[in-house]
Amino acid sequence: MIIFLASVGFGLVTASVLAIAAVGFTLQFAVTDVLNLAYGAVMIAGAFLAYLLNSHGVNVWISLVVAVAACAAGSVLLNAFVYAPFQRRGTAPITMVIVSLGMTLIIEFGVQALAGGTSVSYTMSQGPSVSADGFTLTAVQFVVIGLSLLVMAGTHVLLRYTRLGKAMRATAANRTLARNCGIRTGRVITATWAITGALCGLAGVVFAMDAGSFDATSTDLFLVLILAATFLGGPGQAYGAMLGAVIIGLATEVSAAYITPSYKYVIAFAALLIMLGVRPAGLLGKAA
Amino acid sequence: MNSYYLINLLIYAAVDAMACLGLSQQFGVAGVTNFGFIIFQAAGGYTAAILALPSDSANGGFQSYLGGWNLPFPVPWIGAAVVGGLIALPFTFLVGRRLRGDFAAVGLLVTAVLLNLLATNYRPLLNGDAGLSLIPQPLQGDYNPQSAGYEWALAAVAIVLCAVVYLFVRRITESPYGRSLRAMRDNDIVADSLGKNLLSLRTAMLVAGGAIAGLSGGILVSYITTWSPAAWGYAETVVLFAAVIIGGAGNHRGAILGAILVPVGFEEVTRYIPTSNSLPPNLIPSLQWVAIGLLIVIFLWARPQGILPERKRVIRAEPLRLAAGPVPAAPGGTDQAEVATAPAVPRPAVPPPDDAVPSTDTLQSVSSVPPAGAIASVGAAGAGQQAPPDREVVLQAVDVVREFGGLRAVAGVSLSVRRGTLTGLIGPNGAGKSTLLAMLAGTLPVSAGQIRYQGEDVTSLPAYRRARLGLIRTFQLASEFKKLTVMENLLSSVPRNRGDSLRGALAGPRYWRGDEDAAIARATALLERFGLEAHANNYAGDLSGGQRRMVEIMRALMAEPRVLLLDEPMAGVHPTLARKIGGELVELAAGGLTVLMVEHELAIMDEFCNPVVAMAEGTVLAQGTMSELRRRSDVVEAYLVG
Repeated sequence: MIIFLASVGFGLVTASVLAIAAVGFTLQFAVTDVLNLAYGAVMIAGAFLAYLLNSHGVNVWISLVVAVAACAAGSVLLNAFVYAPFQRRGTAPITMVIVSLGMTLIIEFGVQALAGGTSVSYTMSQGPSVSADGFTLTAVQFVVIGLSLLVMAGTHVLLRYTRLGKAMRATAANRTLARNCGIRTGRVITATWAITGALCGLAGVVFAMDAGSFDATSTDLFLVLILAATFLGGPGQAYGAMLGAVIIGLATEVSAAYITPSYKYVIAFAALLIMLGVRPAGLLGKAA
Repeated sequence: MNSYYLINLLIYAAVDAMACLGLSQQFGVAGVTNFGFIIFQAAGGYTAAILALPSDSANGGFQSYLGGWNLPFPVPWIGAAVVGGLIALPFTFLVGRRLRGDFAAVGLLVTAVLLNLLATNYRPLLNGDAGLSLIPQPLQGDYNPQSAGYEWALAAVAIVLCAVVYLFVRRITESPYGRSLRAMRDNDIVADSLGKNLLSLRTAMLVAGGAIAGLSGGILVSYITTWSPAAWGYAETVVLFAAVIIGGAGNHRGAILGAILVPVGFEEVTRYIPTSNSLPPNLIPSLQWVAIGLLIVIFLWARPQGILPERKRVIRAEPLRLAAGPVPAAPGGTDQAEVATAPAVPRPAVPPPDDAVPSTDTLQSVSSVPPAGAIASVGAAGAGQQAPPDREVVLQAVDVVREFGGLRAVAGVSLSVRRGTLTGLIGPNGAGKSTLLAMLAGTLPVSAGQIRYQGEDVTSLPAYRRARLGLIRTFQLASEFKKLTVMENLLSSVPRNRGDSLRGALAGPRYWRGDEDAAIARATALLERFGLEAHANNYAGDLSGGQRRMVEIMRALMAEPRVLLLDEPMAGVHPTLARKIGGELVELAAGGLTVLMVEHELAIMDEFCNPVVAMAEGTVLAQGTMSELRRRSDVVEAYLVG
């Protein structure tokens, strides 16, 4: 029971980090139509930028804010200089995925070239921890969970109640139609890259905090979790991604308590493959 | 430079070229984006290793692994190829028609990442992270593997096998089967609608490519004598993709060139970068990956066709003219209907052997079907009760429904199409015409209801099976195979070509040349009738919109249809040409072909179609001749209010 509760605690934190990442990823895909596999690489770039500042004495939370802004800007640039030109040319979706894989190598190993291959960690206090029956969370973990809830609520408000959010949904549903209805889809898409890039940066830093130590390739496997959460909920579905993140986050950490931790990703993997094979539209999506 | 260095280079080049050929066949020719390609090479490597190794208690049991059969050469290599091919089978569920290509690719990528993770962490199976080592080399009991002669021989064998693989993939690619693969690559849904079984084609490619990758892995471990998870990270697949893209996807020589430039070239170039202790330890390998990423992105931008682009398959018209016999080139001749309808018969002297029904019969039936009778017998309501088993009703929809989310695009349509008629289907945008057509052809599944074709219930038959029964559709949006020439587009739909199967392709050109020549003759005749013979060897994607429409119609005719479902065939076609197409269709209908045609141009309907069915908001409003429909206020209103 103690092990179970402890793993639920870890699971909640993982699910929180994953939810931030997956919501960003799935919104990005829905609105911009780019299945951006470089998402994980941008995450780790943000995490390393925060580390760079942090190692020069900047408070880690301020570093986080800078990393979020940088990833937002970086994602906008990534789109403006790479993805958008390809899309304007009518490049096939599958080729876009290959481009995004190329960008993954460039960003991820660019970070590695600059940072070296060693693991690093932030200088930060974990704060006091709260525990009950093995269920233990540090103050930082509480903050991560809180941030995630804030992001979820913010996403909900954005999509439901703001002009931009509605324009994003319209663009996701049918870009041509949205443009013909007077929505400036170009701006909506740029705004989407900024928002999802910010989420990506936030996810990167809290992922690094949660992981303790990290290196340039740390998000390779985390991307599997993001993809699993995304496809579980249905690609492009923000609420689906939240649900998927909770399921995958809890499932991986709870299973890790009972089987060898290095196999914890297998659950996510199986979920992803089953969804792809049986119900590609996801749990919340319509049947194909 | 010593000979060991050269041998090393040659063997790596052969192994990488072999892998790139497999990937080129999958990705460049068949459009199967296998981001998990490295899994297959890894499987081949491990298989060859555990087949060749003695049991794991040997060598003091320092490594643990499954198997250890100590089998002699060449069993490990054969095993590597077989296992490489067989492990493709579990992945086939990812590459059916249901799943988008990019999602399937992500599934394969993730599989590669996870299998690597498992192999790294689970030691009993394949010795985990450390991997297998001391793998016996081929015939090492009989020869000294350290000798230069032995190594040269190994390199020679690797090169020969690479050449064999090259001939193998070339034979597949340059056959009618290869053309089907390329058609699937260019537009899989259209290929499906023309009778190509996508699942079977993709499975064959996964298995063939997997076997090639497996063999390459087997050869590699026999040379380097070790194999560990570090050798096959997911990023290695990206390297191979980079090689194929840079060399030229779809061009097998390009794949070999890419293999020499990227995986081999990169290793060699970085060898000559002076190492310095002041540099961070990981800098050069990291930059190598960055460079590969840059190469991919830059090439896809600046030269997506690669250094050696896919070759255009020019089919010369000269011998075809001879085969086609005295076909008048002038349009509108009287004796030309036979040319197009006669399947695989070059000479127009033979009357159209249009399979099921004697042509005299159909001619009578065409004239004897009164439009009024059609109205009475076929209507929006209850096709089930009014249709006694009628051989003349060739295609029938019974209470067919299609829902998209909450929207009922087609809300209970019943419709019968009679043999030898040119039935028109009109209605405002959003009436459900194209959706109905897609359900008749099987491109879309029905939400409810039944589709009957030639008296059989075909509701559950996939599109390619219906196409093989002669139920052929065209598409509203441009659907030509862009990177196939006009001639190849036409040839791609010809049924029963002996070369249009993996086995037939491997049997070689002599096996299928006859079928191919006959098909070329038919295609040439058709091109001449529609005045497109000058474009026969142009890429279909380079034609004008109207010309592409014509290519689609001709391609549908080449499929030897019994029922042709045309979705706005005249859209974007010059009016004169549209009338000519209409005239041709009338002639073909007289020969027994049945046509159901969606069209917005009512003048076309007036002139050629009878009966005409009017749809609005997912239901059939009315049916009759065009002039009858014009008198009905609800039809006119639906159109005007639309």
